[in-house]
Amino acid sequence: MKTFLLIIVTLVTTSFGLSTKYEQQMLKHIAALYVANSPEKFQELSNAFDRIARVEKDKWEPYYYSAYSIIIWSYGVSEVSEKDKLLDHALEKINSAARLAPNESEIIALEGFTHMSRVNIDPASRGAQYSSLALETYGKALAINPENPRAMLLMGQMQYGTAQFFGSNTNEACDLIKNALNRYETYENDNPFAPK
Amino acid sequence: MKITLVFLIATLIPFAGWGQSKISGTVTDQSGEVIIGANIYLEGTYDGCSSSIDGSFEFDTSEKGNHLLIASFIGFKDVQYDIVLSDSAVSLNIIMTESINRLEAVVISAGSFTAGEETNREVLKPLDIATTAGATADIAGALNTLPGTQRVGETGRLFVRGGESDETRTFIDGMLVSNAYSPAAPTTPGRNRFSPFMFSGTSFSTGGYSAEYGQALSSVLVLKSKNEALLNLTDVAIMTVGGTVSHVHKADDWSVAGKLGYTNLAPYFQLAQQRIQWNKAPETFETDVIFRKKYDKGLFKFYTNFNREVFNIFRPQITQADILDQIDLNNQYLHIQGSNEFKVNDKLKITSGLSHTRQNEVLDFNEDAINEHHQTSHGKVVLDHYINEKFNLRSGAEIIHTDHRYQYQTTESGQLNYGQSIAVGFSELDVYFSNKTVLRAGLRYTTDRLSNLSYIVPRLSLAQQVGENGQFSLAYGEFNQAVRPEYLRINQILDHEKVRHHIVSYQWIKNGRTFRLEAYDKRYSNLIKFGVENLNDPSSYTNEGEGYASGLDLFFRDNKSLKGLDYWISYSFLNSERDYLDYPSSAVPVFASAHNFSLVTKYFMQDIQSQLGLSYSYSSPRPYNDPNTTYFNSGRTRSFNDLSLNISHLLNPQVIIHGSVTNVLGFDNVFGYEYATRPDDQGFYQRRAVRQPAPRFFFVGIFITFSKNKTINKLPEL
Repeated sequence: MKTFLLIIVTLVTTSFGLSTKYEQQMLKHIAALYVANSPEKFQELSNAFDRIARVEKDKWEPYYYSAYSIIIWSYGVSEVSEKDKLLDHALEKINSAARLAPNESEIIALEGFTHMSRVNIDPASRGAQYSSLALETYGKALAINPENPRAMLLMGQMQYGTAQFFGSNTNEACDLIKNALNRYETYENDNPFAPK
Repeated sequence: MKITLVFLIATLIPFAGWGQSKISGTVTDQSGEVIIGANIYLEGTYDGCSSSIDGSFEFDTSEKGNHLLIASFIGFKDVQYDIVLSDSAVSLNIIMTESINRLEAVVISAGSFTAGEETNREVLKPLDIATTAGATADIAGALNTLPGTQRVGETGRLFVRGGESDETRTFIDGMLVSNAYSPAAPTTPGRNRFSPFMFSGTSFSTGGYSAEYGQALSSVLVLKSKNEALLNLTDVAIMTVGGTVSHVHKADDWSVAGKLGYTNLAPYFQLAQQRIQWNKAPETFETDVIFRKKYDKGLFKFYTNFNREVFNIFRPQITQADILDQIDLNNQYLHIQGSNEFKVNDKLKITSGLSHTRQNEVLDFNEDAINEHHQTSHGKVVLDHYINEKFNLRSGAEIIHTDHRYQYQTTESGQLNYGQSIAVGFSELDVYFSNKTVLRAGLRYTTDRLSNLSYIVPRLSLAQQVGENGQFSLAYGEFNQAVRPEYLRINQILDHEKVRHHIVSYQWIKNGRTFRLEAYDKRYSNLIKFGVENLNDPSSYTNEGEGYASGLDLFFRDNKSLKGLDYWISYSFLNSERDYLDYPSSAVPVFASAHNFSLVTKYFMQDIQSQLGLSYSYSSPRPYNDPNTTYFNSGRTRSFNDLSLNISHLLNPQVIIHGSVTNVLGFDNVFGYEYATRPDDQGFYQRRAVRQPAPRFFFVGIFITFSKNKTINKLPEL
């Protein structure tokens, strides 16, 4: 009888409690995202997150991961106009996420990442506009959450790239990157779907 | 207990995967091409999948009953199917249609060169205008390296496709700017008054432009000011010709920027020998203020520019070089404008603006004095109406009011003046047949109360994408312009001048390479014609002049083939004659050169943190009229050649040094000849060559940026 009760309790909790379908699906796709390595896979994952987003109308995380998949996907295509199209598309998802959680540091950091990705397409002609936009956006993300290691790392990378482009001292950028990497070790977030 | 267990098992069934049904099929577009990566799912559920490499899809669902199946894919319209799920499999062949996307769709490009940040289909980048060697950050100078322009070195102005310089009108954020060039001594080049650094977008149309723009026979230069400031900063520039200080203050939803500038060429003229005898070298004081505010549904911009320039020169007479004429000039200029963009809703945008330009110029020629006061006010409202995916309607109205006063004190004195009000209504429909075919048809109605006339003219253009990267464009239109103040102040009932454009163009853009070939034909009519006998008699002016211009423009740009190197090549062929002004018969006008060629290169050297620019320009001989011969405008100058260099070096992220030299090789260019008004004792008209004021022009400047963000500097702007 005890065993039987235990089985029931396990069944109930796994079905309705700690691990809902949302959680299962999210964790599954997030795990897949960390090992994905082809444009097709990123597209597929973006689609999967979109499907979740359509159902879970109050959750920003599916949009966040959909956008993230698209940005990484954009690095795998070669045509400039195609890259821009994908980044535009990612930005739409980011805006959807931001509407649900306007003060989420992670979403703002990801927006900064799209700007940074535009710089990477053509640093000479886009650097001026998008690098300052990216730095400004990372700054916003850090203002909301000064501990956000992703915002810090990306900002460090942006500063490093800019310093390298202009041939100036990279110490400041390196310090920021080191700091961010240490922060990754210790950073705790009670949201199980927060990016890691 | 048992009951509870049964209940639990029953509720768990849906999660257990029993009774699933399979949904499968393929996804293609209208032409049967498979679509890879489309998202296919049941609305309101997690169930779905992506279409695979062969366009097929397959997924299982435990849902039952009526459901909505949706397929979505970037750039395509969502497709929905009502399906009934039972235990049997569902199979579907989904056909998706491309959505018409205004950003993806082919852009009407006949006749126009745009520089903007928004898309990578732009032919130019905003910085290209500022970094072109030989242009010394002058908008007109940089655009002069594009096809469709004729180089007229003694003016520094834009002459487009056989048109005079005043046939090109300048607009800032849609508002008219009059007297866009700064004053210059006779036969020396003037500059465009506006700094290229202010603008995020430039659209230079060499013909066939939209019904929104008028009162321009040949060309419109539409400048779009930056929508927002990026951050707080202060810039200081110290140059061989003067200095500027500017500051930008940025707040959350508004920003204000101010600039003060002072230039004085006297020290430079001390060092570099000039062919002109300056009594007082040009001295300019300038100030700019820009205010921008974003609000809930719109954006408001205010811009003003004030400029005062003075100079004084001695000019030898043509017949007796030891007799000097003295010319003294004092020019004051004010431009002020406000514009507002308001999005009423997703489908309607209202853009409105007011601008006012006034210029007062006092010119003393020896004992004679002329005071010319010209002011233009422009009010405009434009409604952009997104009707549906296929149609866009743009309509608007504008009023252009000009007041002109001309006072002269010569052997006799007097005053000529007029006030002219031109009211316009226009409407233009864009039809998107698909992402590949766009048609624009417009009408423009104009009424002029001064000359008591009104007319309506058509504009038409079509763009058709061919293949992945190419497009054909056609444009047709009728363009009008009120005659110049110098004639209108004598005779106010002159008709507007007229020209009809036909343009055919092919353009190909792929990954950093652009090729464009354009052919055009322009037919002028109603041009001003007058007899030379009595210039002050209104009846000696008529609209009986006419002319034509036809030609071919070629453009190629490549920033891909060699790392760090960006270059473009322009070639223009022009065949033009006019019978206008005091011409005795049809002749090639003095500003028209048959062949113009430019090569512009920019090379970025990462190792030494420098950008090197080199431009070469060539213009074939231009006509001039030699009164000693019987044939009008039959003289030909020698050809024009110029090789210019510039270099920008980043000393550290806050300091940039910029240097430039125009006409490095010192070509002795002759733009034409000035002839004495009367023959000498032998019955011969003496002449003087119109040459460059100095063989070369050197410029060095140091640009310093103070900002909290240490990595920001002005390099991108040089």
